[in-house]
Amino acid sequence: MELTVLTLSFTLLLVMGVPVAFAIGLSSIATILAAGLPTAVVFQKMIGGMQVFSFLAIPFFVFAGELMLYGGIADRIVKFANSLIGHVRGGLGMSNVLGCTIFGGVAGSPLADVSAMGSVMIPLMKKEGYDADYAVNVTTHAALVGAIMPTSHNMIIFTLATSGIASVSVLGLILAGLVPAIILTLCNLAAAYWVAVKRGYPTHGAFPGWGQVLKAFGGALPGLLVVVIILGGILSGAFTATESASIAVAWALFVTVFIYRSLTWHNFIKACAKACKTTGVVLLLIGISNAFGYFMALYEVPQKTGEMMQFISSSPWVIFLMINILLFILGTFLDMAATILICTPIFMPIAMQFGMDPLQFGILMLINCALGLNTPPVGTVQFVGCAIGEISVGQVMRTIAPFYGALGMTLLLVTYVPTFSLWLPNLLK
Amino acid sequence: MFTKFCAAISKISLVLAVIGLITVILCVQWQVIGRYVFNDTPTWAEALALLIVLFVTAFGLAVGVRDAGHIGLESLVVLLPEQWQHRIEILIHAMVALFGYLMAQGGWLWASAKWGEKKPMLPVPDGIDYVPLIIAGALIVLFSIEHIVALLRGEEVEPAWN
Repeated sequence: MELTVLTLSFTLLLVMGVPVAFAIGLSSIATILAAGLPTAVVFQKMIGGMQVFSFLAIPFFVFAGELMLYGGIADRIVKFANSLIGHVRGGLGMSNVLGCTIFGGVAGSPLADVSAMGSVMIPLMKKEGYDADYAVNVTTHAALVGAIMPTSHNMIIFTLATSGIASVSVLGLILAGLVPAIILTLCNLAAAYWVAVKRGYPTHGAFPGWGQVLKAFGGALPGLLVVVIILGGILSGAFTATESASIAVAWALFVTVFIYRSLTWHNFIKACAKACKTTGVVLLLIGISNAFGYFMALYEVPQKTGEMMQFISSSPWVIFLMINILLFILGTFLDMAATILICTPIFMPIAMQFGMDPLQFGILMLINCALGLNTPPVGTVQFVGCAIGEISVGQVMRTIAPFYGALGMTLLLVTYVPTFSLWLPNLLK
Repeated sequence: MFTKFCAAISKISLVLAVIGLITVILCVQWQVIGRYVFNDTPTWAEALALLIVLFVTAFGLAVGVRDAGHIGLESLVVLLPEQWQHRIEILIHAMVALFGYLMAQGGWLWASAKWGEKKPMLPVPDGIDYVPLIIAGALIVLFSIEHIVALLRGEEVEPAWN
């Protein structure tokens, strides 16, 4: 009875268009009323879910990402990527992929990535004669890598979502994401190159020489040090993930104000305001999902879903494929944080039962959610890319296949070859 | 008049959220400085950061409600006739307001129940953790009403600070 109330009310509210966090909250309240308990329990669970120190890393990562977005580091990364691979066929597309990957490492958010890199690269590519759909597809897909980079706040969200199911360390997850991030970039490069050759895009000049590459790298380096601070700080044991994130904010501010001198007061305020709003939206979602997760566990939603899936097949290959498909579908409708928070407690126990490591599952989850960001109806990254490229989502979708192929390839490799995600965490354990 | 009032409240909330966020960052950094420079980890820093982030969330999420920053599914409602879309939009804001009201109520209950207990690391009552729920709940109700009024008048709510 209570389970029916929970699922029905949640689905109904969601379909109606109530924002996800409020749909979760209201359906939790409806469930608790059906169970005959006081509604205040929901809010106790909510505050309980927000009293974790690693939770603080989320606003910090978001803030650092916003500062980087407005701080002019994108231009320098473009310069570096261009000097390195801009001379090959479809060079701007290739350097776009590389640039987005690097910026993704700095900002840790696909949305910040497409906003920052897209506004530099997409108009530039169009000016140089590339088709708008190609420019948008290359940028939006390359930007997704931000979700599995060390600065990704979605990684923290995932570790919070696993509490009570398995112990997943932030460091472990960060390390697990690095090799898949490289694979994703390589697949994206291959897709960008393949389309460039097929469409006969030109080459732009010759290789400028290593001196120029080094000079461009030097320009981008201060910004890139953010990743070094976070990885180095946690790996050496000097800082916790949360402390590293707070230092990353200070460093981002220092670089953009004193080294690049590109952060205006207006943009600083804009970054602050955006960070606070995002923090509010995401943290509410995390708190309220804690209550929702409690009910799902209470009414054995994960077990029941698991039984249903095992009814279809008992082969890990099929189960993992089903999990991927379900995550992808849900990810197209829901925001990334919401998908992670709702789906982790349901699918992770099943995946673990079939031998998947929690870290591997985390990366799989993040890539699936990222794919959802580039798929209608709710593809936020794609929307931003299309808005910058002044092209419709429909037009972009027509030529998206090679880029979906790149992501699908990465997803399959991460799903079925555990070494890709587990080698590095095991090596540095 | 009402819109101006709400805009002002929203702006103040955002300013408070920004101040809070910067304070949280400074708390965590002070913890690092304390540990490495003064060889003395301040125990209050973490507790204070965790408390203030609740206030940042409260103000941030309330402004999110006003600026329509919370993400929901819209694609299905678009298929309905315009008049129904309008009605459902009002209903959505009413649902959000209902949640806000329940949140404020729940927060009030817990805050008053735990006001007598003291926090282990800070000289404040334990119930203070629940005060952000009251603030956020009240602001959510206010901003949802603003949205409903605007919809009935056929106006749009402009974000106070972009």
